[in-house]
Amino acid sequence: MSHRQFIAAAGFFLLSFAVPLVVHSDYTLQILFRVFLFAALGLAWNLVGGYAGQLSLGHAAYFGVGAYGLALLSKVGIPPWLSLFLGVGLAVISAAIIGLVSFRLRGPYFALCTIAFAEVVRLVAKNLPDVTGGDVGTQVPLLFTESSIKSFYISGVLLTGLAFVLTAWIERSKFGYYLMAIREDEDTAMSVGVNTSRVKLWSLLISAALTAIGGALYASLFLFIVPDQVMSLDMSVEIAIVPMLGGAGTLFGPVIGSIVLETAAEIFKNIFQEAHLLIYGVLVVMVVIFLPEGIAGTIANKLRLFKKAPAGSLAAPVPVRPEEEAERTAFRK
Amino acid sequence: MESVVNWFYPLIQAILNGLLTGALYALIGMGMALIFGVMRIVNFTHGAFLMLGMYVSYVFFLKTGINPYLGFMVSGAILFVIGYAVYMGLLRRIPGQVDFMVILVTLGLALIITDGVQLVFGADYHQINLPLVARNFRLGTQIFVNAPWLLSFVIALVLAVALYLVVTHTMFGRAARAIAQNPYPSPLMGINVNRVQAISFGIGAAAAGVAGALLLPVFYLYPGVGSQFELKSFVMVVLGGMGSIQGAAIAGLVLGVVESLTSLYWGNEWALAVDFVIFILVLSLKPSGIFGSQRA
Repeated sequence: MSHRQFIAAAGFFLLSFAVPLVVHSDYTLQILFRVFLFAALGLAWNLVGGYAGQLSLGHAAYFGVGAYGLALLSKVGIPPWLSLFLGVGLAVISAAIIGLVSFRLRGPYFALCTIAFAEVVRLVAKNLPDVTGGDVGTQVPLLFTESSIKSFYISGVLLTGLAFVLTAWIERSKFGYYLMAIREDEDTAMSVGVNTSRVKLWSLLISAALTAIGGALYASLFLFIVPDQVMSLDMSVEIAIVPMLGGAGTLFGPVIGSIVLETAAEIFKNIFQEAHLLIYGVLVVMVVIFLPEGIAGTIANKLRLFKKAPAGSLAAPVPVRPEEEAERTAFRK
Repeated sequence: MESVVNWFYPLIQAILNGLLTGALYALIGMGMALIFGVMRIVNFTHGAFLMLGMYVSYVFFLKTGINPYLGFMVSGAILFVIGYAVYMGLLRRIPGQVDFMVILVTLGLALIITDGVQLVFGADYHQINLPLVARNFRLGTQIFVNAPWLLSFVIALVLAVALYLVVTHTMFGRAARAIAQNPYPSPLMGINVNRVQAISFGIGAAAAGVAGALLLPVFYLYPGVGSQFELKSFVMVVLGGMGSIQGAAIAGLVLGVVESLTSLYWGNEWALAVDFVIFILVLSLKPSGIFGSQRA
């Protein structure tokens, strides 16, 4: 992260904390909470899907375990905040199990395996009504007693901030470089001594923990959850689409993706009611065809092209052909 | 004698029902396997294509009164055109043909189709009433065969065999298998890769559409109906060995029987969960598939 980016990010988060001072409408705050929630989920997914290049389509499992952890553990008398953290622990354990099996696979096999695990989790939650309430759903305790939507908004911003700082730190660390090496070429990474299985697993564990916190916040805001809502394939897809739209493997991508996607979805929700996922589809297809590196990646490239040559250098900046650039940076198998 | 009747006939009945359902699964899985083999992508639009096939033959039935057992041809034809157009218009244009991106586009397209249908037809459940649905054939004293399932079984079986013959005995099939083996030298052998991939995608979509049409008389119709079959088609493709269409066909039949037996002994709600557990086991223990010959 460059100096300028750091200032931009710090300014953005400071402004975000100030929003409830100006905005008092519950509706607007709820939408903004959603924007930050999905920014955080996107940042979490980005560690596995973006930096490590492992296309997970099963993040709804961690989201759902976080949500159900909070709901079910507080039902047996554990205080809500403790339940939240225990739920996160459960999500991390399930991520370890899922990761150990699915990281042995590559490409589409990995994606399918994550879907299968998430579906098993969903179906188990659906089919054990005595434990989870099944299809009828279960109640979730409120995490904040006072001015709840504002508190949710602030916690959304905090979670995004946490995920952002973690990502920024990982991006510059050895661990981050290992992840990117795996994305570029797993075999080569292995051959130069990167313990790819362990690195991938760690990225998933961090990702799952953040996702589970997000799930718990989401559940607590709605007070009521059903498996088909918090553990569906649609949820996994939404978590994955946000960062890919913004720019997978970039620090700002998931935040930008969430702002664009959630705002667009909200507008279309008012026009089309239930069919609002249509806009997701249209955006996704358009981004892949026209902006294959996501919004953030494309902006970064454009900026690079227009940047002046360093003073005193005779060489003019060499423009990179967009398709060449796309091939170079795009994800490989 | 009494005890034999108690466990034996339900078992036979369940296996029989499983095979009847399995033939439709086989058709769906073969479409997916053909697309996977030729393009090396997982097609997340498959369920949406199936749903679209159901709606096409539903509308066709409402307008003309021709039942889906003939209307499936219309579904198949329209879905072939849609699949071909999707490949030519979208998938071909993906920069670098990176599988990450292709998966994303098929996911996005599925959302567009599903929610587009929901915009047009609403989210309500529909069903068509055919007098045929209530008819049963009796085999012996205890075993029944439901007429619409038998009919769809026969049609699906014929089409599955036809698809197999097309892939094994025509120039198109030969080209498709060549691309599946190794896409890079294929153009040097004079194969128009884009065209073969477009036709394969069209045939895959048509297979899903036909299966949808055949499911229409015995199933409910709503915009999200495809996803459960799509998930099953992933299972079949993996079980059959990714890209092997005969493997996927056998896997379809097996899956039908496994689901039917699960329903019999544990209850219907666990059928899909058992599918996925098998799927995970196969993926982690023998990723090359059980019934196929292709390498993973």
